[in-house]
Amino acid sequence: MFEVHPDNNGLRLAGRLDAAAAPLAEPHFEALCAAAEVDMAELEYISSAGLGVLLKAHKRLSAQGAGLRLVQVSPHIAEILHFSGFDMLFEVVPAGDSA
Amino acid sequence: MKLSLRRELGEIERIVAARRALFAASNLPASLAYPVDLATEELFVNMLRHNPQGRGPIALELEAMAGGVRVSLADTDAEPFDPASVPPVDTALPLSERQVGGLGLHLVRQLVGAVHYHHRDRCNTLSFMAREEPADV
Repeated sequence: MFEVHPDNNGLRLAGRLDAAAAPLAEPHFEALCAAAEVDMAELEYISSAGLGVLLKAHKRLSAQGAGLRLVQVSPHIAEILHFSGFDMLFEVVPAGDSA
Repeated sequence: MKLSLRRELGEIERIVAARRALFAASNLPASLAYPVDLATEELFVNMLRHNPQGRGPIALELEAMAGGVRVSLADTDAEPFDPASVPPVDTALPLSERQVGGLGLHLVRQLVGAVHYHHRDRCNTLSFMAREEPADV
């Protein structure tokens, strides 16, 4: 199961962002029009389809001088972001860090 | 454990349910769950995308082995497609040069290593072994 909730600073993700869920997430990311935080505290799983949604939105927003900040990132998800090189493209804040 | 998968993304949910059942029945370590789920999803999605004319089901087999889990996926009416022919992704490129897509097989290689490919009588078979890391001694 996957859920995406808009909140004050951006989006809050929960559950499994797989290839079946990515089309559900995409409109929420497309609706972002300024710098935004993506809260991943309750995100259990992300595959390449979900990473594609993040990258597409980040490229679009960065071209406007904004971008996505990935926060409350669990160790499992952080490892996937690292293998993808996304830790060099996004600001990634691990779970437990308040920075 | 064997499953016959319809050619639709909604089947990922059944793949995960089967993996959970196998892990519970075989006392497999939780650390292998993410690599098995991700590699199986990416290879299944690749099979769907590279064979849009395919009509038959895709056969999935999950098997607990000494030291890990073996997974195989077979598409019985497909043109040859060897994942090893897909060039590696350059994950060091700056944001402006990164393309959306193409990360699936890269992540599979990172998480489970080599994917074995076999094509015979129009049947594409992909398999991999997700291994437990040796215990610290």
